[in-house]
Amino acid sequence: MIVVEHLSKSYGAKKAVDDLSFTVTPGRVTGFLGPNGSGKSTTMRCMLGLDRPDSGTATFDGHAYGDFDRPLAQVGSLLDAGDAHKGRSARNHLRWIAMTHGFPTSRVDEVLQMVGMSEVAKTKVGKFSLGMRQRLGLATALLGDPKVVILDEPANGLDPEGIRWTRDVMRHLADEGKSVLVSSHQLVELSLVADDLVVIGQGKLISSGPISQFMTEHAKTWVRVVSPQLDALITLATQRGATVERTREGADFSAITAMELGDLAANNGVVLHELSPQTGSLEQAFLEATDTAVEYRGERTNNVWEAPRP
Amino acid sequence: MMGVLRSELFKLRTTRATKLVLGTAVVLPSIIFVLTSIFGFSSGEISNSLIAAVAESSALVGLLMGVVGVLCSTQEYSQGTIRITLVATPQRYKVLLAKLFTVVIVSIGATASLIALSLIPSGIILQSREIDFEIVGSDIRILFSMFILITMLSLLGLFLGLLFKSSPGAISALLLWPTIIEGLVFGLLTLAFDDNVFRFAPIQGNGFSLTNEFRSPDDNSWLLSLGYFSAFVAVFVILGTVFFSRRDA
Repeated sequence: MIVVEHLSKSYGAKKAVDDLSFTVTPGRVTGFLGPNGSGKSTTMRCMLGLDRPDSGTATFDGHAYGDFDRPLAQVGSLLDAGDAHKGRSARNHLRWIAMTHGFPTSRVDEVLQMVGMSEVAKTKVGKFSLGMRQRLGLATALLGDPKVVILDEPANGLDPEGIRWTRDVMRHLADEGKSVLVSSHQLVELSLVADDLVVIGQGKLISSGPISQFMTEHAKTWVRVVSPQLDALITLATQRGATVERTREGADFSAITAMELGDLAANNGVVLHELSPQTGSLEQAFLEATDTAVEYRGERTNNVWEAPRP
Repeated sequence: MMGVLRSELFKLRTTRATKLVLGTAVVLPSIIFVLTSIFGFSSGEISNSLIAAVAESSALVGLLMGVVGVLCSTQEYSQGTIRITLVATPQRYKVLLAKLFTVVIVSIGATASLIALSLIPSGIILQSREIDFEIVGSDIRILFSMFILITMLSLLGLFLGLLFKSSPGAISALLLWPTIIEGLVFGLLTLAFDDNVFRFAPIQGNGFSLTNEFRSPDDNSWLLSLGYFSAFVAVFVILGTVFFSRRDA
């Protein structure tokens, strides 16, 4: 289990991580979400002892990362796929890491096979695509068969097959009882694999808990209605405080439940062809939750092809 | 700790730049010396000791080994492997010690190889021509000084690398300090003082002079030169250690 408690880290006057606390439980995939510059990578670096936090702690089964004699057997991490010497072969890259822990070379060959890189084991890293480097990074994380796996954007640069493979690997690791913390901007992918979510914005915790809880709290819900007497229903619903947005086929009703809307239609003799509760996507919920915490964003224009005015 | 040391030695062995510089540091002076033996000593007796002649290349070899030291640390930052290094070994003092021992081991190995590659073929050539050469009393000191100078310059490179984090910066500092900066500073000081101020130049006046066969009366003694040069290197060792230990990766 990973426990992060009151973690804070500043760079000069800028607070990158601000009193952040969350837990990652074994056997579950925990998605780590936040807009660009929200402090996800800094948090991960602090957890792994690469950056020194100003205050707070991060522990793995009760131990700080720096206390482990053989940390790769406890925590596997992929922070940046580019963290490999371009002039070394994939196998030699893993060999020097394995040597620090006395892992045999056979383990290196094993993880290369696991990530599907046996055939390019002797190819220099500089010749790899970003996707191949991601696979090598994943092999590095899995080298010590760790109990905890921390992955920063593991699906970056992967093709659809690679993305699905990464998802399966994460699921498999969690099913083996490992704690998996994964940051990703690919929210659709994350929604398919994550059990829990930790969402941060400007270094602060926005939400932490099961993904279903996050969706309940932040995802937009509405009721889709198709009816030949839509005008009548809109009048009745707006009198009850509902907000309505017309669509091509009908209308979307907010601030009213499907049950209330059904009762209203039945009591007033309004015929309904469709009455279906709708829930927004993880992406919409994420944008909703982090709207006030976005630090860097493009100028919003009606025409996406229109260049922002100076 | 042994695992980390093995890993550092392996890292050094598996990068082209370090192999190239290391090879140049050992092979180039050896070839030059052997060629000198072939074409330079045709008859008679060699005026100074053969080892002293080999030792004349120590400054060049030392600076090249300093570049190896620089690469040992800066490549980690330029290639991003420092993060993996510190994730695999979070105790930074272990990483630092492993790098230090790696550089010392490689420097000693390179110096020994240089001496062997220079002396053995040259000795055979000279003997075949019945040219007299002898091992004189000061040879042991010169040999010892070669090991010290080359190892210290390698360490200077390593810690300059840890300080600068970039190869161009650290290599420039390593090469410009003895070749230009010391020359300019102490050259100007010579105008102001009658004394031999070059004996205060840490690398040129003391480090490089360690391997000199003969010392003039106004030079520092060998021991004083060693102490002065060691203190100069120690400053960078301390600075590099402090920065490496405290800096975010």
